[in-house]
Amino acid sequence: MKKKTRTLLVVAVALLLLALAAFLLLRKQPAGFEPGLLNRGEEHGDGIAEFIRVKLFFLSETSRYLQPVYREIEVPEIREELYRKFISLLLAGDEAHITPVPGGVQLRSLHFLGGGGMLLLDFSESLAGSFPGGTTAELEFIYFIVDNVCYNFREIKKVKFLIGGNESKSLAGHIDLERPFFPDFSWLGDQ
Amino acid sequence: MKKSIKAGIFCAVLLVAPRLLTPIGIDFRSFDHEGYTRVVFESERSFAYKVRSLPDRLEVSLDGRADLPAPTLAVPNSQLLERVTCEHRGDESVLTVHFKGAAAVKQSFILEKPFRVVFDLVRSEKSPEPPPQTPVAEEKSQPREEPPPAPRPRSIETICIDPGHGGEDFGAIGRSKLKEKDITLKIGLRLKKLIESKTGLRVIMTRDKDSEVSLNTRASIANNQRAQMFVSIHVNSSFRKSAFGSETYFVSLQATDPEALELAQKENQNAEDPGEAIQNDELKMILWNMAQTEHIRESSKLAEYIQNELNALLGTRDRGVKQAPFRVLMRAAMPAVLIEAVFISNASEEKKLQREDFLDKIALAIYNGINKFIYHYNSTLK
Repeated sequence: MKKKTRTLLVVAVALLLLALAAFLLLRKQPAGFEPGLLNRGEEHGDGIAEFIRVKLFFLSETSRYLQPVYREIEVPEIREELYRKFISLLLAGDEAHITPVPGGVQLRSLHFLGGGGMLLLDFSESLAGSFPGGTTAELEFIYFIVDNVCYNFREIKKVKFLIGGNESKSLAGHIDLERPFFPDFSWLGDQ
Repeated sequence: MKKSIKAGIFCAVLLVAPRLLTPIGIDFRSFDHEGYTRVVFESERSFAYKVRSLPDRLEVSLDGRADLPAPTLAVPNSQLLERVTCEHRGDESVLTVHFKGAAAVKQSFILEKPFRVVFDLVRSEKSPEPPPQTPVAEEKSQPREEPPPAPRPRSIETICIDPGHGGEDFGAIGRSKLKEKDITLKIGLRLKKLIESKTGLRVIMTRDKDSEVSLNTRASIANNQRAQMFVSIHVNSSFRKSAFGSETYFVSLQATDPEALELAQKENQNAEDPGEAIQNDELKMILWNMAQTEHIRESSKLAEYIQNELNALLGTRDRGVKQAPFRVLMRAAMPAVLIEAVFISNASEEKKLQREDFLDKIALAIYNGINKFIYHYNSTLK
């Protein structure tokens, strides 16, 4: 093979590799988000605490889509405890955004049914009692919870809501709450 | 290299062989519908079969020894079926459906995922014809016929108007303490008057005063009165105070398992309770709730007509036609929509809702949409 041809071949291969690297680096992050284990540990009691970074989405007056906010959670030994901490962060809200949950509502308990990937969330009775009403408000609450948990924890495929330990027909007379909800990531826009 | 190919083939055979050698399992169920009885044989895999239709029974023969249910299955309370017997005859497995009196196969078809062979049987008055032999089905059967069409609808004569909330259920409340339940009733009564005076059609209301009516009862009223259209009236509310505009919904099935829905949609050809014989509780619930399934296309059309008119008359933001799993719509066995006229949680739109002429406009927009839908619907019947 001539020297010139060889050089051209090497340049072509190099360009191809460069294009591939650019594609891999610049492509959009796929839908969904793996909460990565943070590369740090903290002395904590008799061991080292580990943290994960999660991406929470809140309502905003200025956008039709839920807006992202990042938080860190210390990883407990029990997986369900991690979900509980995550829900607590959602309920605590974010000062710059709207939390579509009536004030005072608490998570009573949760249970993860691994087989079907269903997360059962039991909220306090005040959820129904103080819900402001309106189809849009109901959907805002439902997908605020469902999209957040399913986005951050891939093993959760669907969410079923309980209120005061019982199944409830509806939050405020619109959406059927007796069946589980799959995520609808259209609420997150292109994020 | 050759060794690895051989190993690959060996592994593939190991994976496939048990599936081919395991006897195929067959389940049976039946539903009574108005005018016919549906018989379903279901299996995890497709199977080859032959059908023999006799006046007093239907025989379905499978090649090979299938894993059959009990030798005799009772079919309690069936209008047409007496029992089903299951037996092995030589190399064949035969399922025989015994009739009460004479019956005939009106139609049969195959459904996939899971594989099902479906027969619709009708009572036979005449003396039966010679039994037809129907050789069917390769191992990978494809659907040969579409599921039977729904009973042909009548032209629209009765409309059900559902003013949302009522009684102790106030619905959403505006800043000035305006209650959704009062607004929806006012709009509903105006709409009733418009429809009756301009079209002469029969209008029924789920409530005509400030009373509480459960979501299930609302749909039941419409079903029992044989309404051919269900229009639920609401005003909206959001956690975002800036949200405004009008939107019209029809039911969405998103909240349920997609695979279960596919099955339910195919088998739910009748609004009566077809889920009785199905063992899966979740699916049974879905089937029961899916009276709306066969009307979804018309519901979408009705929503579109009404939303267009709301846009034209109200001059507010068009939030479009949307879908959501509304409890009140799921049980309605007719084209059904839910209108969220404007946002009571928005200060400016709440003010508009306090004006009688604005309520007139909402009622007129809904009426215009209904009227256009009736024209479209009735023209499809010709």
